[in-house]
Amino acid sequence: MFSSGMDASQDLSGTVGAVLIPTRFVWPHGGRRVFLTGSFTRWSDHLPMSPVEGCHTVFQAICNLTPGLHQYKFYVDGEWRHDENQPYVSGNYGVVNSLFLTGEPDPVPSVVSPGTPSRINMDVDNEHFRRVQVTLSGCSAPETALRISEADIELTRHQISNFLSASTSYDLLPDSGKVIVLDVNLPVKQAFHILYEQGIPVAPLLDFHSGQFVGMLSALDFILILRELGNCGSSEEELETHTISAWKAGKWQRYDQLDAHGRPLERRLVHAGPFDTLKDVAIKILQNEVATIPIIHSSSPDGSFPQLLHLASLSEILRCICRHFRHSSSSLPILQQPICNIPLGSWVPKIGEANRRPLAMLTPNASLGSALSLLVQARVSCIPIVDGNNSLLDTYSRSDITALAKDRAYAHVHLDEMKIHQALQIGQDSTSHGFSSAQKCHMCLRSDSLQKVMEQLSSPGVRRVIIVEAGSMRVEGIISLSDLFRLFMGWPGN
Amino acid sequence: MQDGETCVMGFEVPSSPESSYNNPIPRNEDEARDPPIAPPHLQHTLLSYSASQEGSGSLPSPQNVILNHLYIENREAPRSVVALGITHRFRSKFVTVILYKPVRRR
Repeated sequence: MFSSGMDASQDLSGTVGAVLIPTRFVWPHGGRRVFLTGSFTRWSDHLPMSPVEGCHTVFQAICNLTPGLHQYKFYVDGEWRHDENQPYVSGNYGVVNSLFLTGEPDPVPSVVSPGTPSRINMDVDNEHFRRVQVTLSGCSAPETALRISEADIELTRHQISNFLSASTSYDLLPDSGKVIVLDVNLPVKQAFHILYEQGIPVAPLLDFHSGQFVGMLSALDFILILRELGNCGSSEEELETHTISAWKAGKWQRYDQLDAHGRPLERRLVHAGPFDTLKDVAIKILQNEVATIPIIHSSSPDGSFPQLLHLASLSEILRCICRHFRHSSSSLPILQQPICNIPLGSWVPKIGEANRRPLAMLTPNASLGSALSLLVQARVSCIPIVDGNNSLLDTYSRSDITALAKDRAYAHVHLDEMKIHQALQIGQDSTSHGFSSAQKCHMCLRSDSLQKVMEQLSSPGVRRVIIVEAGSMRVEGIISLSDLFRLFMGWPGN
Repeated sequence: MQDGETCVMGFEVPSSPESSYNNPIPRNEDEARDPPIAPPHLQHTLLSYSASQEGSGSLPSPQNVILNHLYIENREAPRSVVALGITHRFRSKFVTVILYKPVRRR
């Protein structure tokens, strides 16, 4: 009934620089048109109250009041009424409700100057409402841009955590889905081609003899294999006989030091069950720094005869979140904030911020070998390709490596001689996966709201969004799915 | 009850016309065709749909007659990889799993 964009200008404080406390008034006794008036409106202005969603006999309005004693009364369908369940006194206007507000400031008090209209938050179901800050509409100059309060972030986290704990990974399954599995004894070369032909970036591995799923094959494996080929001069014939299981065994020996926490890498397959909550699935994905995990169901207690159901990723979980909160986006207060105000993502460090990690970027003439090394060492999944002015041209992601399977290009590729733009050209020439580079790079501006970025990230296949400057397309930062979920789960960033 | 010979006046059963009966010897044309090797509805598998992540939504719902049947890919003889596929139901959702296996050369 009420639109969320209602910008009623209700500056009700008479004093300049006073601390205002947003207060909710509720009329629970029904009616069709309900107005609120009181000492804070000088008993002359009538404030319309809006019905609560889902309960049409309850009306509410929210006003900013100075601390102190206030009196108020309701005008319901043409007659004056007071709420008998709230404290009331007899006064000049008959029986009126009274309310005493203590003057305790909120943790980060907001100072409202009289010239700025404050946006009334007409929201429902908000237990923590008195702690929510009144946000100023109309962003001021960048130097004095408001950082959003910790309370807003906490509230958002709390809401999302509640939703994720109430949903299971069964909800992620499509009604009729498809999964492709590779036998772990397949030669690596065949596996490469299958991933390319089927257009999938990752596949679970099955050990046929034990009947168990033992791991996943992803683009990162191919990047490491190609670098091995380049270093050791192995031939294409070796690729044909080298099985996935042999590769994995060798990889664990060689790359043991890749674990960021200093522990030996997890050998067992990271997976989840269909009745695990979405919160557990998201935490598993973040903890193990993977992009997808298989959802496996086993009807017997010892885990035999596993049934593979789905491959879950953060993108799908985000889609569930967006779908759920689409019509009540005001219950997540930080959604409307511009992303420059939110501690999220990796940003190009400005001059003077010496302690920030630089954002990894490359020019189109850099060699493919350097791009692959950067993908592995910087533990990122995508590198923006920029020109001399840091303007975005394209991106090279880990999954682009499978394009080298076209015409067996990997067999005649020298990693240090091939340039990135040539590698990307191979990918664009292939007809079965014809993405234009515009479709591949998902971009946004620093002033875009978090909600807009979330909608972009929840499109299938999108794992990161690049923040560019309007007009010049200079790269300012990257926000990835895992950055977003680290914010939601309250993990330390970067 | 009485025999069918007696009848009520005015309700005699009319006799059948001569041409409605004949007595042909059965020919072979119906038996010339062999019965189908497999029930024809098994052809409606979901295995030919692409599994691309960018696909909009899921595959169409399978007919329940094809569930729990194992399919093998039909490719020419010199092949090193064979694809096996099956569609099964998990609670109220369907999953089609395709496994690529190496073929052992004799």
